[in-house]
Amino acid sequence: MSSYAYFFGCVIPNRYPGIEYAVRWICGKEGFGLDIKDIKEFSCCPVPGIFYSTDKDTWLALATRNLTLAQDEKREIMTVCNGCLASLLKATEYLQDPKVMGKVNRTLSQVGRKYTGIPRKGEGTRRVFEPVKVRHYVDVMAKDVGMDAISAKVKHPLKNVKVAVHYGCHYLRPTEHQTFDDPNDPVLIDRMVEACGASSVDYEDKLDCCGAGGGVRSHVVELANSLTQDKCANISAAGADCIVTGCPFCLLQFDNAQKSFSKDGIPVMHISQFQALAMGIDTISLGFDTHHVSVHSFLRKLRGI
Amino acid sequence: MGEAEKTFLSGLHEKLVEDKVIDESQLDPNFAKEIVKYGGKDVMTCLQCGNCTGVCPISLKIDYKTRSIMKYCQFGLRKYTLGTRWVCATCYRCYEHCPADINPAEVMIALRHIAIREGVVPPFVKVAATNLVLYGQSVKPDVEIEKIRDELGLGDVHTKDPEYRSVLREIRTIIQATKYDKLIGIDAEGKA
Repeated sequence: MSSYAYFFGCVIPNRYPGIEYAVRWICGKEGFGLDIKDIKEFSCCPVPGIFYSTDKDTWLALATRNLTLAQDEKREIMTVCNGCLASLLKATEYLQDPKVMGKVNRTLSQVGRKYTGIPRKGEGTRRVFEPVKVRHYVDVMAKDVGMDAISAKVKHPLKNVKVAVHYGCHYLRPTEHQTFDDPNDPVLIDRMVEACGASSVDYEDKLDCCGAGGGVRSHVVELANSLTQDKCANISAAGADCIVTGCPFCLLQFDNAQKSFSKDGIPVMHISQFQALAMGIDTISLGFDTHHVSVHSFLRKLRGI
Repeated sequence: MGEAEKTFLSGLHEKLVEDKVIDESQLDPNFAKEIVKYGGKDVMTCLQCGNCTGVCPISLKIDYKTRSIMKYCQFGLRKYTLGTRWVCATCYRCYEHCPADINPAEVMIALRHIAIREGVVPPFVKVAATNLVLYGQSVKPDVEIEKIRDELGLGDVHTKDPEYRSVLREIRTIIQATKYDKLIGIDAEGKA
């Protein structure tokens, strides 16, 4: 199996530390014991909705700086956020062009860094450089760990739980990325939910946007919330007990927006938190106190109270 | 969506009604070139089929028509693109459904590049960039969350480590090298 580097990004450590705990617990020795470590020098990915939108040169230089850190450690980056995935993956694609790579390296030379890709032995004495691999947590879990291993680790199958899965735009699109899931009919998070013993319900406009991306949440929060309201109406209609997503920014949007249009709201959590619940983690460690929509009624239902 | 429409499209309706006839002086032939320069390639090959507008989640909520914006870009009707530059959620559904394989989301992003260069910098861009300079992350650390991190045994966010200062120096150097601080009007030392 490959070796990885954690890339938590901005939202998880500073808003939802429970996700960080869950991911570390699942990847650590109590979970699947992956060869994974922290790289302390990682910065913001940087956010595609802000830096990619305003100046591509700055965005690419900052993203490439993160890539060089993983390159020097010869590790694959495992992001837990769709935004980080989109930003870093897009950067590796831009860097395929030697001219672009040269320009970025001129900027990065000022901070003593250089992106080449990870050197591997090619035919004979030739060395080939492979781009740094950027992978989503779901990708690593589904492809490298495998669904069988996930269900084998489940201690408390979350039976009778109906889950509405929200993938998030940058998990799926644009399809020119090297996709790890089917962009038009994604299945991996649904399968993970089912491996945890729960059932994933289908609902209308499942692949729609949560409304937060591209700076819309920061710029015009009513517009973002109004899109979330539509999604939540469809999710309620399907009778889901909770929303599970692969992206902390979508989570933040669902979590914050719901109080603007409903009293109770549907609990929302990251797939790693859901998975950790099924694997028998102590629920206090999942940091649900930081969620605005209370998860307690959901947890009581799990315990059958 | 009354509120959002008021905030973001204020004045636009009146202008559109006013300018039912568009004379040549309003057309800017260099506008499309500028868009291509900032990554909105193929903008000129838009067929005006309207698939992008049909699948756009934002178009359901406010008066925002991707197809019209593509047309304004082709004709160089700069002022019609002003009000709606920051409402694209970059969900890329337009791109997936485009029969001509154009990426309208990238055109919106190019329009944002142009907006910034015209000096229109939304406050949230400055906030995020300042956070990046100060903390190395776009989200500001929160005292309450830090307490919870302690309770969970996660410890401080790695950006609080004194050794992380060298990273902040690198970020500043990069931002100064690409002149991003000047572009959006922030202080690269994080004092502003």
